[in-house]
Amino acid sequence: MELFNEAVSIMIVGMLTVFFILFLIVGIGNLIIKLSNKYLPEEVVPVKATISSEPSNNTYAAIKAAIDIATKGKAQVTNITKL
Amino acid sequence: MEEILSKLYYMTAFSSFTYQVAIMWFIAFLLLYLGIKKEYEPLLLVPIAFGVLLANFPGGEMGVVAAENIALEGGRYKNLFEIAHDHGIMNFLYYGLIKTGFLPPVIFMGVGALTDFGPMLRNLKLAMFGAAAQIGIFAVLLAAVLLGFTLKEAASLGIIGGADGPTAIYTTIKLAPHLLGPIAIAAYSYMALVPVIIPLVANLLMTKKEFEINMRQMDKEFPAKHTIKNIKAVKIIFPIVLGSVTAIFVPSSVPLLGMLLFGNLVKEIGVNTLRLSSAASGGIMNAATIFLGLTVGATMTSEVFLSPKTLGIIVGGFIAFAISIAGGIVAVKIYNLFAKKKINPLVGATGLSAVPMASRVANEMALKYDSTNHILQYCMASNISGVIGSAVAAGVLISFLS
Repeated sequence: MELFNEAVSIMIVGMLTVFFILFLIVGIGNLIIKLSNKYLPEEVVPVKATISSEPSNNTYAAIKAAIDIATKGKAQVTNITKL
Repeated sequence: MEEILSKLYYMTAFSSFTYQVAIMWFIAFLLLYLGIKKEYEPLLLVPIAFGVLLANFPGGEMGVVAAENIALEGGRYKNLFEIAHDHGIMNFLYYGLIKTGFLPPVIFMGVGALTDFGPMLRNLKLAMFGAAAQIGIFAVLLAAVLLGFTLKEAASLGIIGGADGPTAIYTTIKLAPHLLGPIAIAAYSYMALVPVIIPLVANLLMTKKEFEINMRQMDKEFPAKHTIKNIKAVKIIFPIVLGSVTAIFVPSSVPLLGMLLFGNLVKEIGVNTLRLSSAASGGIMNAATIFLGLTVGATMTSEVFLSPKTLGIIVGGFIAFAISIAGGIVAVKIYNLFAKKKINPLVGATGLSAVPMASRVANEMALKYDSTNHILQYCMASNISGVIGSAVAAGVLISFLS
């Protein structure tokens, strides 16, 4: 009976502790969210400038070189279109 | 000639092959079948089953010996070299890695590196149901004491209800190491049976109307007060603060929770600590799993395993599991009596650990009743808090009883 009483007291303390810790987690979580919303708002990623539809000189040179190699110089680049 | 044959006979294992050994081989083969063919937690069940087999090869000296065999006078123990010399390599591994309580926290670190607290942070209120689902641990503790188990043994048996393998192993190492084998087997077997046990309990306790509670619909009707603007920052701060606060209230849970939160922190930091999180959730965790499985399996020698207590553990573990699930469901039902924003009780059923399988099973059950009712993220909230809850419960048991 003594063992059983001890088991009951462990049960009460155990469940109260688990509830208390998870209650604390809810509280801590809410606090962190509130503080981060206030002091660490989302980093704003700057929108890149409009991408030019014209390829840069480097891109043009790379594509031209690749086509030269692939076709052994038989073809030439006339137009580059972004898909 | 007769002498040579006699020597040959004793050189082989035939002379030591008893019916108890045959039973243990059968159990090992059954576990291997479940792990390989049925795919029940194969990552752990296969090493455990093979560990059982290794421990029960007569003359192989791979079975883990009881702690009395390594005890010296004056409360001291043999050193690891002496253990390896006297009792073989498996005892070296067991006493070096398991009995010291080293591997379960290492595995928890890997679990942390694989865990995303995001669903819990987005639905913080649901974390409370991870607490309710720990009731099975303590209910079985009471029942086991009435059945004649000692308090330490009863606590180790009850912790199976937490549905968390490393936590069950860690608690048993600290409280009742002689029961480690059967408890680990029961814990991992029932975790593998989550797709059977959750529907069984949920169908018994829930009505059709409750299965149909649509969580997203509820969110639309009763939107959250505030949203998270910078989830990355919150996820990084959360494990640091949570670890610090929990350590003050339940210091005995620190080895498990602390390592879980460290693993999670290195994951959330991102690219700068990517190598650490990859190591924690990859190589280190895999190696730890191998040694944990083999050594735990090797504790199951026929002398230890074939006892009435093993049967009690198998039955008691199942009851602990079922009560934990029921506890979570009943907690949600009680909450729903008073709240306008109803919660699907399946969210409570996942308050035990077994991440993420419990959530997946609950989600599938909800979808059967309403094909638009995706409750996975809500279940994950209580599921993850269940991991914390069971580690805290283990901490309480260890600090009270060790």
